[in-house]
Amino acid sequence: MRRQAPRQRTAWSAVRWTLAAGIVALGLAVPAGAQERFRRTPPLPDAQRLELKLPPVETFVLANGLTVATARRPESSVVTLQLVIRAGEADSPPDRPGLAAMTARMIGKGTKMLSADYIEDMIESIGAEISVAVFMDYTVLTINVLDEFLDRAIYILRLITIEAEFNERELGAIRRTAFWELYEKKKDPEVLGWRQLLSVLFEGHPYRIATYSEDVIKFITPRDVATFYNRFYRPANAAVLVSGNIDGPAVAQKVGSHFGAWSGLPSDRTAPPPPSPNDRERVCYVEVPDSPAATVFAGNVIMGSSGPDFFPFLVLKQILGGTTRSRLFMNLRESKGYAIYAFSEMEVFGSCGVYWVRALVRPEFLVPAMREIAGEIGALAAGPSIPSEIEEAKSYLVGSLPMRFESPAGFADWMARYVALGLDKGQWDRGPEEVKLVNAERVRETARKFLSARPVVVIVGRPEWLGAYLGELDAIEVYDTAGQLKQTFRKGEGR
Amino acid sequence: MKKAARAIIVLAFLVRPGLSAVPSQESATPGSLPFSFQEFRLRNGLRVILSEDPRLPLVTVAVGYSAGTLREKPEQEGLAFLLENLMFQGSENIGPLQHIAFVQKVGGELNAVTSPDKALFYETLPSNQLALALWLESDRMKSLVITPAAIERTRTDLIKEHGDRVMSDPDLETFSQFDLLLFPDWLYGHPLIGPGIANLVEADIAEFHRTYYVPNNAVLCIVGNIDIAKTRELVARYFDSIPPGPDSPFPSRPVFRRENDAVVRFSLLPAGSAGFHMGFRFFPLQPGDASSLRILEYVLLEGETSRLRSRVLRRDLTARYLTGALDERPSIATLKIFCLTTNADLVSRSEKGILAEIDKLRANAVSQDELTKARRRFVTDYFNRLSTNLGKARFLVDAVFAGKGLDTLGGELADVLSVSPQALVAFSRRYFIPQNRVVLEFGPR
Repeated sequence: MRRQAPRQRTAWSAVRWTLAAGIVALGLAVPAGAQERFRRTPPLPDAQRLELKLPPVETFVLANGLTVATARRPESSVVTLQLVIRAGEADSPPDRPGLAAMTARMIGKGTKMLSADYIEDMIESIGAEISVAVFMDYTVLTINVLDEFLDRAIYILRLITIEAEFNERELGAIRRTAFWELYEKKKDPEVLGWRQLLSVLFEGHPYRIATYSEDVIKFITPRDVATFYNRFYRPANAAVLVSGNIDGPAVAQKVGSHFGAWSGLPSDRTAPPPPSPNDRERVCYVEVPDSPAATVFAGNVIMGSSGPDFFPFLVLKQILGGTTRSRLFMNLRESKGYAIYAFSEMEVFGSCGVYWVRALVRPEFLVPAMREIAGEIGALAAGPSIPSEIEEAKSYLVGSLPMRFESPAGFADWMARYVALGLDKGQWDRGPEEVKLVNAERVRETARKFLSARPVVVIVGRPEWLGAYLGELDAIEVYDTAGQLKQTFRKGEGR
Repeated sequence: MKKAARAIIVLAFLVRPGLSAVPSQESATPGSLPFSFQEFRLRNGLRVILSEDPRLPLVTVAVGYSAGTLREKPEQEGLAFLLENLMFQGSENIGPLQHIAFVQKVGGELNAVTSPDKALFYETLPSNQLALALWLESDRMKSLVITPAAIERTRTDLIKEHGDRVMSDPDLETFSQFDLLLFPDWLYGHPLIGPGIANLVEADIAEFHRTYYVPNNAVLCIVGNIDIAKTRELVARYFDSIPPGPDSPFPSRPVFRRENDAVVRFSLLPAGSAGFHMGFRFFPLQPGDASSLRILEYVLLEGETSRLRSRVLRRDLTARYLTGALDERPSIATLKIFCLTTNADLVSRSEKGILAEIDKLRANAVSQDELTKARRRFVTDYFNRLSTNLGKARFLVDAVFAGKGLDTLGGELADVLSVSPQALVAFSRRYFIPQNRVVLEFGPR
């Protein structure tokens, strides 16, 4: 239950007299000291909820296997052009973590004929820039451009993609930038916690490769980049997406004329099979001096996004910790006062996903907070959810969905994911209907299926909190900020 | 609950609140903005701006109060920020933190921000929940409950969160110190949260609220999938009976004197790495200067081929991170540059590189190609900014608090795009002088 602060009227009474005087002076209809009845309760929503209508994604496949997808958004002044490669962090070789990201960042850094400086100037001369996002299973290069420069942007994208060449000078510059970015990220306890969680959940699995730190990228050579590029940057393994105020078929034709000459056999990539969920007690501790509070992650492997459990799990995740009204926040912060915040999240990859709890905990309450987190997860797995909780979670999911599509960037991100992972229509424009169909039984089944296994717990905090607050735990694996295991503490041993 | 709901519906038919709204002004739809809007005032002085965007079933409600840090008095640093947070602690009909709960329950998102000129509150939610947002915002405008317990709890949280942020990011404190140097007057230079927050008493807070959180000191902006006529009725229903407060003239604008440049070499501030802030003050601004400054920001800092980024990150390789932005306030604008590198020598070399590039602006006209590139990028960013309901709402509210006539907004883009190379040289010669420059270096020597 939420703790309600007592309503004290000391300050209010003074304000009310002032307000009342103002009202009388204005001669308005409200008597002094009274309030209109409609203020007492929240208003009802408009009877008819407007439905989310997304523009259809038109998909074409060129003779060379390249997918071209377009979506028309007539109200948008900016067009988003994207190249999707169906290979991501998980495709970096085991001895070359970060290679997928470095390869993506090298696109646009030179061709057989043009220097990086020249290409950057070409791109920026049309008011655009290239951004790169590398996910577990796919990579996206994005160019946002005014619609009058779309043809030029398609030409540039073709040039830098098909004629890419990689040299040590540009790779050195990217290594330097990437090194400092990764170095800075290590200051963020949430990044460290997430990385450690993935590292443990995907031990021995290709997805673990995504948890690299800055020290490993110095080994990547132009030859590595070229090898990765030749293996995955092929038309049958790629898609070009265009969204904005466009004529879809005409744009698809233009893309075809530019990219039709791109040759290459299909790539041999297959999504890695999902690993088994963790089912043993495992607590990892990442030492970070000067942490103001303890960051706690607790999570496990779940299903991917294409199965029937996806939408029920969304509802489940929402009930557990989607907002400040959800179970975790109400328990750990509002009721017990152990945490500053506590939420739950989920992320889905090609063949599986991960759910996790993310909490900022007062260090002296680490152990009871961990118990409460485990208790909340266990309670969902063991028992039914309250119908009102389910309805509220569904209301949140349906209500918040349109926000994801509002900006050109948000829309394009969603479209890239949809195309890259080969998702069905349920993931495009039937989401609200799918959510509405989720009932208590489906939530219960999904909870039993995915929340019964014991989650891995990762704590990021100061070294001294280990001995001071965690002495009663049976075993704790202690890591440094690079993810290297330093030692394992067992109950009864000195910490 | 059902009974209460029925009562509201009945009331809606009996009382036509829209009839009590008296528009005092209604602007014509500005031609050159990529969206249209309507503006009017309620009898209590509340300024209302409505803009219809039917693309998605969403609406953004933003309420800005002229209650930013410029309204604070010495020894009150943090009062504006504290009150922004107290606005979530409950009002006559809404319990503590219930405002957040109501919005989240329907899938909405909300936030608030305090800047020198305003405290801004906003929520985006399904458009059929517009009345909910207006009910929530009007209740805390009309009847915020400020209790000693809420003050203490909020103040403690803010001080702790601020301390935690500084502890986890040692560079953060340098930003506050830099503002103190860049704006050498207390009004503009003082931080969002300072030692004064610990000494605030309930009377200070209540007084601030009573004076500034009133309809005649506020702007309500609604953007999204709305029916304008129905929205006007709803606005009148929820806001028209809120009494106005005292008139609060805007704080007098500070007058700056031009003195020697302020360079602080390697302050003793704890910092994670070596780096520096460099800033330029522009005052008093002449007509057209704001447009020149916007283009110069793009020439210098936006994009990998922009002059400063290209110089220190690609050509000289003296820095590992460089960013910058304009900070425009009434009567003064500043350009702030933040650079991270690895040691004192590279700090010095990066500064020299930046100053050399700025000197070029004083000596030679920017080429037509470079100007075209900056303009196109500006336009792309401009449209991106206005691509969401919240982006539009903030654009309009920002303009109101900057003292701009909303009917002139449509011409702003054209003004920026018409800046000539000669105007940039003239601007640079006038303002990029040592007396307008401020540098704060930090980190290990």
